[in-house]
Amino acid sequence: MTPPTHEMGKWTDEPSLCPAVEVGRVAYNRRLAEGLFEIGIAAPGIAHAVMPGQFVHVRLPGMEGHILRRPFSVFAVDQGMALSLVYQVRGCGSGHMSSIAPGTELGLLGPLGRGWRCPPETRRALLVGGGVGAAPLFLLASALTQQGVLLDVILGAQSAGAQVCLARFERLAALSATTRIALATDDGSLGRAGLVTPLVEEALQGGLFEGARLQGVSPGGIHPGMAHREGGQPQEAGKGPTPYGYIAACGPEPMMRAVATLAAQTDALCEVSLERHMACGIGACLSCVVETAQGLRRSCVDGPAFNAREVLS
Amino acid sequence: MSVAMQVDLGGLLMENPLTTASGTFGSGREYAAFVDLDALGAITTKGVSLKPWKGNATPRIAETPSGMLNSIGLQNPGVDAFIETDLAFLSAYKVPVIVNVSGHSIDEYVQVIERLEGEDRVGAYEVNISCPNVDAGGMAFGCHAPSVEAVVSRCRSATKRPLFVKLTPNVTSIAEIARAAQDAGADAISLINTVLGMAIDAHTRKPVLARAVGGLSGPAIKPIALRMVYEAYRAVRIPLLGMGGIMSGQDAIEFLLAGATAVAVGTASFVNPRAVADCKAGIEAYCVRYGVKDVNELIGGLIC
Ligand SMILES: Cc1cc2nc3c(=O)[nH]c(=O)nc-3n(C[C@H](O)[C@H](O)[C@H](O)COP(=O)(O)OP(=O)(O)OC[C@H]3O[C@@H](n4cnc5c(N)ncnc54)[C@H](O)[C@@H]3O)c2cc1C
Ligand SMILES: Cc1cc2nc3c(=O)[nH]c(=O)nc-3n(C[C@H](O)[C@H](O)[C@H](O)COP(=O)(O)O)c2cc1C
Ligand code: FES
Repeated sequence: MTPPTHEMGKWTDEPSLCPAVEVGRVAYNRRLAEGLFEIGIAAPGIAHAVMPGQFVHVRLPGMEGHILRRPFSVFAVDQGMALSLVYQVRGCGSGHMSSIAPGTELGLLGPLGRGWRCPPETRRALLVGGGVGAAPLFLLASALTQQGVLLDVILGAQSAGAQVCLARFERLAALSATTRIALATDDGSLGRAGLVTPLVEEALQGGLFEGARLQGVSPGGIHPGMAHREGGQPQEAGKGPTPYGYIAACGPEPMMRAVATLAAQTDALCEVSLERHMACGIGACLSCVVETAQGLRRSCVDGPAFNAREVLS
Repeated sequence: MSVAMQVDLGGLLMENPLTTASGTFGSGREYAAFVDLDALGAITTKGVSLKPWKGNATPRIAETPSGMLNSIGLQNPGVDAFIETDLAFLSAYKVPVIVNVSGHSIDEYVQVIERLEGEDRVGAYEVNISCPNVDAGGMAFGCHAPSVEAVVSRCRSATKRPLFVKLTPNVTSIAEIARAAQDAGADAISLINTVLGMAIDAHTRKPVLARAVGGLSGPAIKPIALRMVYEAYRAVRIPLLGMGGIMSGQDAIEFLLAGATAVAVGTASFVNPRAVADCKAGIEAYCVRYGVKDVNELIGGLIC
């Protein structure tokens, strides 16, 4: 009954590293854009153990009347010591978090959940992030890049300013010849105007990032300087020809649904990361269940990353 | 100073007065990384029914001031799967197990107990006639003395093991219901289950929970729970398992003083996965501080 773990590139049914309670000290907490913040928390235990797509369950001081912890994906790990979370102010907890001063101690429970499981044979992957949904994709992008997987990333946000995860992806792409980024914004202030869906559609057909490779810069929102030097991998046999073996999407549910629908027409494995209200975060309370093709699953331990075919169809 | 912590809860010997509240601790597996299960007085499992139950639609929880609402709806894989997985897991431990029993009908409660009679790991049954989150059974049985007596007496004849009855606070007279449970043969009374409540989102004009209403738990209900333990203690001779908003050792002591023989920690485990162990340490520390040699001295020790 133990959920399979998600060691990158490996399919395994071994139990995941035990979650632990850790006191984290806030290193920084900065505003990135209207209602969007990044908090850095020194927490070496969790930082060392966390896998791409996992989350931490956070307890903030000064919120004792609000008894539940708040779940946040781990965005990045700095120097193997500190967790970075990118968060949007949505209600009282995230609002209060935005006022937490450096030096404050937070209660962390983690790392939690089953993260992304990119099949080991994957040669080329597509990551699609919408808004703060880009956050849980960054560790995945880092891991896949290290493994030499060709990586195409599509990030959507309301405006250029709201592309708050972009800088880290850009730094990654600058170090890796095999990682490319395409952008969309609702207001057209950066990359393609509109939703990410048309970009995803083009990418799946093999057009979007190939165009970038030829032109260097694309009017379609491809980020300059990120073109692959070599061509994509041969198309995988299957329903629809697509260059990708694996697709990961995180963002608003309509976006994930749209990506999943497009991906379903191909042979690629598509995973999505779901947000459900959580109490315990460790699989005991059954608050966070998701209807899947195999019955009800707990998104805190069997997810938050799920095969899109099993949860969104 | 060493403190004697052992208590006798209606025939179930517990090394200390601490157990887990049903539905908040699974069967201990998820918490084993945080709590030494064998250091607890008992583990109370999540509710188990004869056949698998799907539970309610999501959202199933909502945070409310100093508490939370839940409408899980007793999702569980049924008694057979419970034996195969949960009881099998617990066979590696020696901690007493209280199995929380649910049913849509009196027959179903009885059948669950019958199915569990052959299982050595079961130390006691806690019959849940107080769940606010199911349409048939659950709380419907727990609100009127005649139906309480009917369920409890049928369960009583199905087992010689300690039989606890879990009561709902959503009644006019807890004393009357507690007496009905005692008269029908219960060995102890667990109280309280959650308080029926509701949360509304003003922006969307919709209920927050998919099922609209749910059960309130956590510190918000502690005063209600203490009052009901206090009243039940005066109404019955059988021991009480007190719960409702216990977050610390001091909260637990308050329940003992009001008349509980043992206490259960529920929602607190979501906030602090070590809560039940911390509460145990807190009780011990209190006893040391006030020179209490045996926790049993505290039961019903309220000065008034
Ligand atoms: C696995 C996971 C990863 C997440 N990662 C991120 C992230 O990286 N960045 C980010 O900005 N947000 C993330 N979220 C969403 C984040 O948990 C909520 O925005 C946050 O809990 C809202 O709390 P609040 O007190 O501000 O809002 P309130 O509305 O005041 O919260 C009330 C209650 O509802 C819960 N709640 C409200 N909205 C959500 C939601 N969308 N998902 C889950 N619970 C919710 C809260 O936890 C709390 O229990 C994630 C959610 C999950 C489940
Ligand atoms: C998520 C959740 C699930 C619960 N499931 C059950 C259950 O299956 N059976 C039961 O008798 N009580 C159940 N309860 C009630 C608790 O056992 C307890 O009576 C109540 O929550 C009050 O204690 P607390 O405030 O410490 O949580 C549940 C409570 C919660 C919060
Ligand atoms: S949050 Fe408790 S089971 Fe997932």
